[in-house]
Amino acid sequence: MKIAYYPGCSLHSTGVEYDISTKKVCAALGIELVEVEDWICCGASPAHQCDELMSVALPAKNLALAARTDNLKEICAPCASCYSRLKFAQERMTDENMRKNVEQIIGSEYPEGFKVLHMLDVIVEKTGTEAVKEKVVKSLNGLKVACYYGCLMTRPPKVTGKQQFENPTEMESLMEALGAETVDWNMKTFCCGASFALTQTDVVLKLTRKILADAVSAGAQAISVGCPLCHANLDGRQEQINKKFNTNFHIPIFYFTELMGLALGFEAKDLGIFKHLTEVEDFLKERALV
Amino acid sequence: MKIVGQKDVKLDKAFMEEVAKRSGENVFLCYQCRKCASGCPSRMFMDSTPTELMRYVQLGMVDEAMKTNTIWYCLSCQTCSARCPQDIDIAHVVDTIRILVQEKGIKADTKNMRLFNRLWMNILKYAGRMYELALTGMLNVFTGRPFKDMSLGIKMMRKGKLKLLPSIRKPFAMMKMFSRAKRLKK
Ligand code: SF4
Ligand code: SF4
Repeated sequence: MKIAYYPGCSLHSTGVEYDISTKKVCAALGIELVEVEDWICCGASPAHQCDELMSVALPAKNLALAARTDNLKEICAPCASCYSRLKFAQERMTDENMRKNVEQIIGSEYPEGFKVLHMLDVIVEKTGTEAVKEKVVKSLNGLKVACYYGCLMTRPPKVTGKQQFENPTEMESLMEALGAETVDWNMKTFCCGASFALTQTDVVLKLTRKILADAVSAGAQAISVGCPLCHANLDGRQEQINKKFNTNFHIPIFYFTELMGLALGFEAKDLGIFKHLTEVEDFLKERALV
Repeated sequence: MKIVGQKDVKLDKAFMEEVAKRSGENVFLCYQCRKCASGCPSRMFMDSTPTELMRYVQLGMVDEAMKTNTIWYCLSCQTCSARCPQDIDIAHVVDTIRILVQEKGIKADTKNMRLFNRLWMNILKYAGRMYELALTGMLNVFTGRPFKDMSLGIKMMRKGKLKLLPSIRKPFAMMKMFSRAKRLKK
């Protein structure tokens, strides 16, 4: 299977381990990722709240660039925010006027009928958990995982086309195929405050704390995520949360691709796992995953 | 709603129409069921709930909609838009009001969001891709908290999670896109 790959800015900086692990597991599953040549930022958090036209033009430009790459008709993004912006752009481009303006801005035709997928869709829907299961060489051995989707992987359903947007279960089925146990919890689609990380950090700390607390009380030993912004908050802010609220969180946050990589037999260091800010080395050693 | 019975409420029909037209959302369909407010993760920070905001728009209560902190505390989490029984994309309505506030240069409680938006869009205009160090650095300096998240930043840098240099992609093509958009908006 060959598919256009849009890493997005975060995967080249704060979420670099997501990029590394995604490429590793895709190669192992026979999915060929063709990186969109000269891709640009999708406009993520700011564009839609300050410039409607550019918020559509930036993702549309990327789709136009992707259409030129090897004549592909499908594109995947590992970042939930990029995925959402690409999907939103497609929805807004159904408006005649918007389309005319955007085509003028990007200076080329807008490719109709592109299929935009989140990385999790590529694995669960297109490849299938059975195919993943066949490749597992090191089972996660009952590791208790809370699957966190956050906002934009599923919402709004009008844009994402997801049926189960309040209680998605794709990541659970994947984790179970890897030999993990998944926990029932309430916060799997609750917002971590992603877009406020730099401007209103207090909001992020409060919301993220709720998510961590719920996962821990549901018995989770780790949280699995599919978005670099969620990861930055859940993984990187634990220390600040502990200080501010007098809590004692120390729960590893993994990208789902990292857990896949471990189960498929890759070394933790080759997957970039040690780049996490909440240390995971002892945790992996205890469970013979390193 | 706290302003019921107040005599000096400014009602501006043009504001109501502009929000409805520019967002393309039929704001008049809202029947105040409060589903959006009850699911909003950010409501505890807001002056008014999203439901109240929708009423302000319907009635043209321009000051209440534009000058309070409600729109600036919206996380764009899409919970309201996903759940509204009247199929209104409330987050899109919020975005539309934010854009109006920024375009008109209205003084409002924006909590640095305006600055964040402007800095990020400018980095894009010249570099094509995000450059986190410049964004956080400038944001911290301009908001007078130069050392905010410093230790976190250093840790990230040690782990190779922050690019030291920007990756610049086709700057001229980017600038052209931005200037074409500017012209179209006139
Ligand atoms: S959910 Fe929809 S109909 Fe209900 S109060 Fe909110 S905007 Fe109005
Ligand atoms: S999109 Fe904004 S208004 Fe709607 S639920 Fe989320 S934070 Fe609240």
